[in-house]
Amino acid sequence: MLILALDTATDVATVALARDDEVLGERASRAVRVLEDVEVLMGEADLRAADLEGIAVGTGPGSYTGLRMGLITARTLAISLGVPVAGVSTLDALAAGAPGATPVVDAKRREVFTLVESEPHCLAAADLEVEPGRAYVGDGAVRYRDLIEERGGVVPPDDAGEHVPWARHHARLARDFGPGEATDPIYLRAPDAERALRR
Amino acid sequence: MILGIETSCDETAVALVTQDGEVRSNVVASQAELHARYGGVVPEVASRRHLELVGPVLSEALERGKATLDEVEAVAVTRGPGLIGALLVGLSAAKALAWSRRLPLIPVDHLHGHVASLYLEPGALEPPFLCLLVSGGHTLLLDVRARSGYHVVGTTLDDAAGEAFDKGARLLGLGYPGGAALDRKARDGDPDAYSFPVARVPGFDFSFSGLKTALLYVVRDLPADELERRRADLAASYQHAIVRALVERTRAAAMELGGQPIAVVGGVGANSELRAALADATLAPLPLCTDNAVMIASAARYAPAIPFPQYLALDAYATAA
Ligand SMILES: Nc1ncnc2c1ncn2[C@@H]1O[C@H](COP(=O)(O)OP(=O)(O)OP(=O)(O)O)[C@@H](O)[C@H]1O
Ligand SMILES: [Mg+2]
Repeated sequence: MLILALDTATDVATVALARDDEVLGERASRAVRVLEDVEVLMGEADLRAADLEGIAVGTGPGSYTGLRMGLITARTLAISLGVPVAGVSTLDALAAGAPGATPVVDAKRREVFTLVESEPHCLAAADLEVEPGRAYVGDGAVRYRDLIEERGGVVPPDDAGEHVPWARHHARLARDFGPGEATDPIYLRAPDAERALRR
Repeated sequence: MILGIETSCDETAVALVTQDGEVRSNVVASQAELHARYGGVVPEVASRRHLELVGPVLSEALERGKATLDEVEAVAVTRGPGLIGALLVGLSAAKALAWSRRLPLIPVDHLHGHVASLYLEPGALEPPFLCLLVSGGHTLLLDVRARSGYHVVGTTLDDAAGEAFDKGARLLGLGYPGGAALDRKARDGDPDAYSFPVARVPGFDFSFSGLKTALLYVVRDLPADELERRRADLAASYQHAIVRALVERTRAAAMELGGQPIAVVGGVGANSELRAALADATLAPLPLCTDNAVMIASAARYAPAIPFPQYLALDAYATAA
């Protein structure tokens, strides 16, 4: 199965092309240029959009605008090409790229997205439970390096590849391919206006 | 055939239009009800909804146009101005659609889109003409010499006409978005009951912020039961002041430009009093006054197409450059 994988939920947007277990290529840029990378990969592999058989897409959590760009790209490709989509959480992809580490994505406003008992959660950076000696990866780990290291955690160097949700992991983790419209974003926070209304 | 996508504000819209300007389908999913409880459009709420709606709206546009994607020859999309997060949903969808089918992409300016609501068959308007563009975010007088563009001769110095309608409607307790509701209420009122001042600014520019303040003072000083009784009169008088300002300026500009014919586009172009006052002008078809994708696909016929695959890094813009 020829799979196009993409994740635009963090500042570094990634794409990968994979056939079964073989990664044909992988690139990184920004959400707005994600299809440019896809076009390069397809060209290198001498393939066309019509050859794709499935899309794996990062469902976040992460930047809301970036996340939506990836999801609408995946959903529209699915409609246009008649192929199924599978969602993979950005946190799961990060964890897959750094076995034994805890993924931490910057949620802005001094909050982070992380896995708590394998489930995505949004919490105040200060409330992050750090296990001494354990590794922490992702742009949230980089941002809150001081806090994590103070509590005994380990954060790889800022430019380490483990901080990026590489799309090769989405391609490999993708399960349950289905209609694109059924692949939903993981927001974890209601819009501010809605929270204000509830008060 | 051109497929147009519009997601600049709170309408998710997809349309099919032929090169000759024939409308094959026009689907608009309005989010107005969703935003009503916030008293205005909430960008994050709008963007979330666009993500949910683009797919279904696209499918419905194809179905209603009895067309398949194979018949689409170019994809047109609003690139700006508008809410950046909302625009990026439509732009990303348009890129994915065009890329996957190796089609050209035609980025369209939303305001050019409003003007292009006049270029559809039957009865497509031929430039030159003077266009009054009155919408939620803009009040412009445009000197239109060719279908590919326009030259701005007047603009608002503060609030847009649509904004004035929406703020007035809120003050009168008519809900959001209030333009259409105020229009309906005004039909039962006396337009001369109150005299609201219309600021006179030099040239062909507009100013509506004083008007809203004047209405605020009147409403504030009225006892609640009295307000209830005078609501229609207030709506009619307030609307009359806006319409008079628009009509006076537009007619003066048309004269100045050598007696050019007048055309009206944009959401406020749906206003019944404005339509009656400019009955001699070319008025955008009612369903195409507020945001839609037909106008975007229409404008694309007169905008440069970017060939496959040169558009893949294209970004949206929130405000005009
Ligand atoms: N019958 C009416 N009378 C007066 N105003 C109206 C009427 N119908 C709609 N409007 C107003 O039109 C505006 C919406 O128009 P439109 O959809 O063209 O604006 P927009 O797309 O939000 O703004 P812009 O095009 O400037 O970005 C709103 O302000 C609304 O109140
Ligand atoms: Mg508009």
